[in-house]
Amino acid sequence: MKKDTLIMSFESSCDETSVAIIKNGKEILSNIIATQIKSHQRFGGVVPEVASRHHVEEITRCIELAMDEAAVTYDDIDAVAVTYGPGLVGSLLIGIMAAKTVAFAHNLPLIKVNHLAGHIYSANFVTDLQYPFMALLVSGGHTELVLVTAPGEFHTLGDTRDDAVGEAYDKIGRVLGINYPAGKQVDQMAAVGNDVFNFPRAMVQEDNLDFSFSGLKSAFINRVHHADQVHEDLSKDDLAASFQGAVLDILSNKTFRALKQHPVSQLVVAGGVAANQGLRKRLKEEIEKRNMDMELVFPPLRLCGDNAAMIGAIAQIQYEKGDFADLSLNSDPSLDF
Amino acid sequence: MKILAFDTSNKPLSVAVVEDGKVLAHVESSENKTHSVTLLPDIQDSLADASLSVNDIDRIAVADGPGSYTGVRIAVTVAKTLAFTLDKPLVGISSLKLLAADGGDDRFLVPLMDARNDNAYAGVYSNEHERLVNVVEDQHITMTKLLELLQDYDEDQLEFINATQKLTDLIREKYPHAKIISDEDSLPDATKLAKLAEHAEPVKDIDSFVPTYLRLTQAEHDWYAKGHKDDGNISYVEEV
Repeated sequence: MKKDTLIMSFESSCDETSVAIIKNGKEILSNIIATQIKSHQRFGGVVPEVASRHHVEEITRCIELAMDEAAVTYDDIDAVAVTYGPGLVGSLLIGIMAAKTVAFAHNLPLIKVNHLAGHIYSANFVTDLQYPFMALLVSGGHTELVLVTAPGEFHTLGDTRDDAVGEAYDKIGRVLGINYPAGKQVDQMAAVGNDVFNFPRAMVQEDNLDFSFSGLKSAFINRVHHADQVHEDLSKDDLAASFQGAVLDILSNKTFRALKQHPVSQLVVAGGVAANQGLRKRLKEEIEKRNMDMELVFPPLRLCGDNAAMIGAIAQIQYEKGDFADLSLNSDPSLDF
Repeated sequence: MKILAFDTSNKPLSVAVVEDGKVLAHVESSENKTHSVTLLPDIQDSLADASLSVNDIDRIAVADGPGSYTGVRIAVTVAKTLAFTLDKPLVGISSLKLLAADGGDDRFLVPLMDARNDNAYAGVYSNEHERLVNVVEDQHITMTKLLELLQDYDEDQLEFINATQKLTDLIREKYPHAKIISDEDSLPDATKLAKLAEHAEPVKDIDSFVPTYLRLTQAEHDWYAKGHKDDGNISYVEEV
């Protein structure tokens, strides 16, 4: 029988400090997530220096909790993995320095992980991935369509030309008086409102797989400002529904365009915006409408946001390939595929 | 006692392995290298030079600030993780106190770090029987205030350490006769850090060990300036 592989993984690219122990890339023995949302809510968004300071406060506690919950010792661990980009440089460095230190202290191999790859492989905990598969990665920092042709082989088909989709949610949330992160509340309001404002669906006519959300964001803000000037009372629920309606049209249009070009049997939706109920419902309906024989994979809500479990999932593939880093590993804040 | 000591609080990097006052290994760099890249390999090399394994170390010592926020965090994160993961005692020493270790005997030592706009991180230390005693606590302070505060001391006994040219000019205006060691001549030395750490009390709770920044972040400063209050007890980070 093949021996189990246990990977201790670290994630600290933005405002969550997370350490996980993952077995064979498939089973979560522990996945400790310390979130700083409450702190950054004071400022209406993530402040990098504040984030870095919190990561140092939390890092060893997270390691301790992860090991306790998994009931493992260092002798059980086969490798240490860490997110090295993309993300905030000061935040990334805390996870990197801690991971390098643990790897050094216990003479364990070190694996450097692309945060985006981690998000996509959060799907590995809910299904057996069939290659090639399509991934729609939607978060506060990223909006990408990625074709995964083999384990750990990524090909970006489309990317956002301006704001990430989650970022657009936060920006229009601010106009609606919703604190960061606004996605969940906008999603809830959208469920009761109606799409009546006809906001623009940017680039849906264009024959490429790229996204744009800044025009939509501006149209939204202009509409609200105009109403303020003429003392017109707009329904916030309708505004949310109209914004989300446009977002879902754009995401759906580009995703199914990509699927037409690259027929696959699985569509993975990952990243913080994958928690959006409207998006979940819409993609499911579109697949049914098209009679497509395709598995739609959404990670559980806990694995949509940043977490170290997903880092351990992709790290397993790199471990099997012998893709190791050394102790000079540095962050790469603008890393892409 | 075998001590592994390191400092990356500013541009220079210094790593040392010291056993009972004897330097077994010492790696230094004053170049502007990336501490996040070089620190672990330098620790590895130092231990190899000392023919020791990291498990042989009895105590970990780190300069815990003030300094470059990122720089201090790099060393502190490595130090606390290493101490935690190997269950070793950890000692944090003020980065200013470490600079003061460069100073002369029977003097009042004023280690400084230029914090721009005529501000500095500074403290005052006396050197009594070869032991540095903190007499004015480390703080972020305007140079005007610092120089005023030093009026109580005999100018001939003052020794400023790690002064940039800009700070030197400001000091000279008020204390033309004070001894000044320039930033170029005062590199933090991890062998001295190890010496300072030998008799210091180890930190009680490694998890809670964080850099001494001596300044709030700008965002927090502005937030409090707007009249916001917290009861000091609120937890801004939650496990979910």
